[in-house]
Amino acid sequence: MKRVTLSVLSIIILTVIGYSCSDDGPSGPDVLDFDRQSMLKNWADNIIIPSFTALSEKTEELDSTAERFASEPTLIHLEELRGAWEAAYLSFQNVSMFEMGQAMQLRYRDQMNIYPTDVVEIQNNIESGSYNLELPSLNDSQGFPALDYLLYGLSETDSGILEYYTTGTNSEDYRTYVTDLTTRIDELTREVNLHWIETYRDEFVQNDGGGANASVDMTVNDYIFYYEKALRAGKVGIPAGVFSGTPLSTHLEAYYRKDLSTDLLLQALNATQDFFNGKHFESDETGESLNSYLDYLNTIKNSDDLSTLINMQFDAARDKIESLDDNLVNQVENDNAQMLSAYDELQMNVVYMKVDMLQALNINVDYVDADGD
Amino acid sequence: MKPFYLLLLLAFAATLFISCDNSVSNDDNIEIDEPASYDFSRDGESSVAYTGQTTRIKMADELFVSMSDFDQSTEELLLEMYRNQTENGGNTDPYTDADLNGSTKSVKSKVAASTDYFSTNASQSAIIKNDFEAWITAQVDEVFPNRNELAEPGKAGQIADGSNARYVSAKGLEYDQLVNKSLIGALMTDQILNHYLSGSVLDEGTNPEDNSAGETEDEANYTTMEHKWDEAYGYIYGTSADPKNPNATIGQDDRFLNKYTGQVSEDEDFENTADDIFKAFKKGRAAIVAGEYEVRDEQVEIIQENISKVLGVRAVYYLQAGKNQLSDENDGSAFHSLSEGYGFLYSLQFTRIPGTEQPYLTHNDVVGLLNDLLGDGPNGLWDVTSETLDSVSEEIASRFEFTIEEAASN
Repeated sequence: MKRVTLSVLSIIILTVIGYSCSDDGPSGPDVLDFDRQSMLKNWADNIIIPSFTALSEKTEELDSTAERFASEPTLIHLEELRGAWEAAYLSFQNVSMFEMGQAMQLRYRDQMNIYPTDVVEIQNNIESGSYNLELPSLNDSQGFPALDYLLYGLSETDSGILEYYTTGTNSEDYRTYVTDLTTRIDELTREVNLHWIETYRDEFVQNDGGGANASVDMTVNDYIFYYEKALRAGKVGIPAGVFSGTPLSTHLEAYYRKDLSTDLLLQALNATQDFFNGKHFESDETGESLNSYLDYLNTIKNSDDLSTLINMQFDAARDKIESLDDNLVNQVENDNAQMLSAYDELQMNVVYMKVDMLQALNINVDYVDADGD
Repeated sequence: MKPFYLLLLLAFAATLFISCDNSVSNDDNIEIDEPASYDFSRDGESSVAYTGQTTRIKMADELFVSMSDFDQSTEELLLEMYRNQTENGGNTDPYTDADLNGSTKSVKSKVAASTDYFSTNASQSAIIKNDFEAWITAQVDEVFPNRNELAEPGKAGQIADGSNARYVSAKGLEYDQLVNKSLIGALMTDQILNHYLSGSVLDEGTNPEDNSAGETEDEANYTTMEHKWDEAYGYIYGTSADPKNPNATIGQDDRFLNKYTGQVSEDEDFENTADDIFKAFKKGRAAIVAGEYEVRDEQVEIIQENISKVLGVRAVYYLQAGKNQLSDENDGSAFHSLSEGYGFLYSLQFTRIPGTEQPYLTHNDVVGLLNDLLGDGPNGLWDVTSETLDSVSEEIASRFEFTIEEAASN
């Protein structure tokens, strides 16, 4: 009898302790108390749609300069086309992280920016004249990297490149291939942009709850996936040989143009930091963001605001990248150690965002590394 | 119980154990000398050999790789890689590796060819052997001509899996994955569990007497029983970086049983699997050297259980992965996973419940579940529902001692 009394008593005591613990446990507000919808509105209306709209204007310009070049392949028109390609490629860095909605359906990023581009496949396509650019196996013979090769990589000299489009065998097929690529870039971009404006924006903003299929969870996952895989690994880690042990300069973005690689990387880094801070497209204004969300939750790491740590780390990575050669091919081939330390700076924010931030926001990672078979 | 009685009981129990020990020591009191690695020798020379197994793993590997080589491969070439013979039984050199071309061994001759399961079941063996030829032929007839078409329900072609292209049949199946994963059962597992580790092979004829007497085969440094055991070993570790310590690189040494033993062991629910399999192989081999056949047979049961489990876990893992990818509208990844799952499910007919001559799922069980998998509509995987994937997974898991949840995590 005594024992029974004791154990009942201890259960009561434990329950009381447990209850008071769970009452005191969470510090600060609940993750779903934050105004997620106003953050989603800020993302859609002030960042994502304006970025896609700006890119869409540039891809339209790209396509029309390509048409001009194809009908009259002169050096002036080549330079004009290269300028439009550069502007569109830089602008693309602002949207590449938003692989959702129609972009996900189309696998937009895979069609736009798989590099290294497959030079042999490009030649085969041009020579055979029969190719279906919708095929997944042709992802790596189209998009910005294929144009990089076609506008800069065919020959050492501009006159040598022009020959492919003027007097060379298959010159007409080369011209057609270039415009086929620019048309596809433009059409896919317009499709994604219009889908955002006409359909997806409202759906995206209304889906403001929590859970794996909520807009916030999906966007944040896409964002971190992009940062980790496309930016950190694709633009820096793989060419620096972080994963293979051997530096691979041919795996750099804009390998044939060469001196654009650092600018593309910086643009991508700025875009990811601006998104983190909810900074409106081409403006200094900011709205609700991951930054303000973390502050709302009062997220602290090592006695600093996590949002501050993340921004400091973005800044540190940018400082490092700005110190690199404009031409990352030179950087990798001559002083890869600097490239590796840029990678290390980028990697720090994978930890802050993928581990600390997701924990604070109670978001689960929805992607895993494939088992590779 | 009073301490005195407890003591008495203990003393009595101790005598029981002593008397047991006595009965063992009557058998010449043999002790098993187990080395730290899979390293056995006689007269200072290694007594371990399994080159035939290494050869077949490599042949199977070349076959798999060539199945997606649209530019070089033909139906004739692929079938010759499977048979290592021409259609009429003539000599052929289908492999890129000259050592393989020099061999007279083949993959096909050891598919569904174990003593225990197929020595009196030639018709079923033929059906299974022909399944592989049918997949190879279909790859060339259906998928090759459509390699530059987008796949859709009822139409073979390519489909995106992330930034990769997968090449699938009209029903969404990747035939190269069917061949790859089904060989894990039909070749490796069947040969290990139902042939080389079978009592009818290990103890055939005068093998036990010869082995106990240390009688080696002609011009060899091993007894027949030792060699049979090592041939079983070769089907899982035959391409290991260090075959004496294969678990150092388990999972990285082939694309067959070694690979998936490693992958299953990365799941914390099954983390001891690779270790248990290797230790049993090593202890069993040492037991053969010591002539301790009961100890050997205990190890056989451990290997039966664990290799069977690898196949079962992996079947459920891929069916569940495919289910989740389908719900994410990621059809290309899903078809890849489900093709792997299809092959592992196929392989389950070659598993073996420890201490029996029965597989965990019979041939007919497997055929029925494969039909379920492709039977939700006219277009196979394009139509499969998550309910079907769950019910097939549930049926597999119910035959083993793991849950769907344990198998699906990794």
